[in-house]
Amino acid sequence: MAMMGAYRELEGCMQLLGHVLRRLTVLKLPPMAEQLTRQIYFAGASAMPGIVTRGAFIGTLIIVYVIEVLEADAALAVKILLWVVLRELGPLLAALLVLQRSGTAIATELALMQITGEIASLRQMRVDPCDYLVVPCVVGIAVSTAVLTFYVQVIAVGGGMLLSALVVNATFDELADSFFLLASPMDIVYSLLKSLLFGVSIAVIACYHGLHPPGISINAIPKAAISAVTQSTLVVMLLNVVFAYLVFGVLWFGLVTTEL
Amino acid sequence: MNTANQPVAADAVLPRALETTGVGLACELPADSGSDGRIWIPAGVSLRIRIANPAHRARLLAAIFDMEPDPDLRLVLLGAEVNALSMEERIALRARLAFLAAAGGLLSNLNAWENIILPLGCHHPERLQGIAVEVHALVTELGESPQTLLGKLPEEMTLLEKKITGFVRILLEAPDLVLVENFAPGLDSAERMRIPYFAATYHARHPLGTFVQLEDVLGG
Repeated sequence: MAMMGAYRELEGCMQLLGHVLRRLTVLKLPPMAEQLTRQIYFAGASAMPGIVTRGAFIGTLIIVYVIEVLEADAALAVKILLWVVLRELGPLLAALLVLQRSGTAIATELALMQITGEIASLRQMRVDPCDYLVVPCVVGIAVSTAVLTFYVQVIAVGGGMLLSALVVNATFDELADSFFLLASPMDIVYSLLKSLLFGVSIAVIACYHGLHPPGISINAIPKAAISAVTQSTLVVMLLNVVFAYLVFGVLWFGLVTTEL
Repeated sequence: MNTANQPVAADAVLPRALETTGVGLACELPADSGSDGRIWIPAGVSLRIRIANPAHRARLLAAIFDMEPDPDLRLVLLGAEVNALSMEERIALRARLAFLAAAGGLLSNLNAWENIILPLGCHHPERLQGIAVEVHALVTELGESPQTLLGKLPEEMTLLEKKITGFVRILLEAPDLVLVENFAPGLDSAERMRIPYFAATYHARHPLGTFVQLEDVLGG
C-alpha cells in the first residue's frame, strides 16, 4: 500500500511538472504574471535578508571548522570554498532555506484553498487551478532559488575568504586571486542548474501535496505541509547526490574540473 | 423538485416530456428522486427554485458545471441536450454558464477588484483595458460604493458585499445562464430587499439571459 501511495504521488508530481512545462505560456496572462511577481517577491525578495544571513553564517562556520580541523593552508582553503561552498553548499543551503520558508507556505496555502472551496471556485470560473496557482509558483520558486543561491554563494564565499584570511597565512587578495584562478564558468552553470532543479522540485512537490490534502478537515493542512517538506528534502538530497555523481563520478567525470 | 416563481416566470414547471426549444435549464433526475424529479425553466426568465435533497443539488450542479456525462440525468442547457454533446461542444456551452456560490466564491488573498477581474484576465485579457469604468458602474448600480468595496479583502466584507463582488465578476463575462446558490440565507431583511436588483441588473444587460436562484429552503 505504501509503495502504491508513493508511486501515485510520484506519478502525480510528474504530471504536475508536465503540465507546468506544457503551459508556461499562460504566464503571459495578466493574473498569472501577477501571481508570478508575488511568488518571486515572497519567495525571493522578502526572504533574502533572512536566507542570506543564515546562509552566510553557515558557510563561514563550515570554512572555519574545516580549516581548523584540516589545518588547511591558503590553497586548500580556496579549494574548500570552491568545492564545498560554491558548488555544493550554496545551492543546497538556498534550497533547504527556500523549502523551510516557501515550501511549507505553498503546501499550507493550497491545502487551505482546497479545503475551503477556493480551488472549486477557480474551476467554477473556468480558471485552471494548475495554470493560475502551480505554473507561477513553480517558475517563481525556481527563479527565486537560483537568485538566492547566487547571493548565498557570494556572501558565503566572501565571508569565508575574509575569515580564512584571519586564520591562514594569506591575505584576502591572495585568496581571491587563487579562487578566481581555480573557478570556471562551468561552476556557475553547474550550481545554477542545480538550484533551478531544486527549486522546481520543491515547488512541484509542495503544490502536489497542497492540491491533494489527505482529507477535508483542518488537520489535513499540517499533514500536507509535513509531507511536502519531508519529500522535498529527500528529493533535494537525492538530486544533490545525482549531481555529485555526474560531476565527480565515472559517468561525466571531469565535467567540472579543478586542479588537485 | 419544487419551485417558487418570481413574477417573470409563471409556468416554470411543466409536467410534460423534457423539451429543448426555448429552454434555459431543464433536467430530469432518475425516477427515485421523488419530488426533486423534474425542472423546466424557459430561457430569458428569472426565478427561484428549491431542491431539498443535498445529494440531488450536488448532482445537478456537477452535471451542469463539471461537464462529466451523467447518463442517468437528462439535462438541457440553453436549448442543448447535454448528454448528446461532444466534449468540445460541452466546453463551449460551459463558457456560457456562470455560478454564484453562497459566499460569492471569492479567493481570500485577492481584494474585491482582483477577484472581479480574475476570470476576465484569464479568458479575455484584451478587455481589461477600460474595464474599471464598467466595474464601477456595476458596483454602484448594485448599491455599493466602488471606492469602499473594491479595495477590501473578502475577510473584511459582509456577506452581501461578497455576493455583489462575485456577481459583478459574473456580469463582466455576460453569461447566458446564471445560477445563484442560496442567495437569501444569511442576509438581513434590508439586504434581502436588494435581491431583485441583481436579476434586474443582469437582465438590463442581457435581456435573453436566464437567472436562476437555487435554494435548499424556501425563504425571503
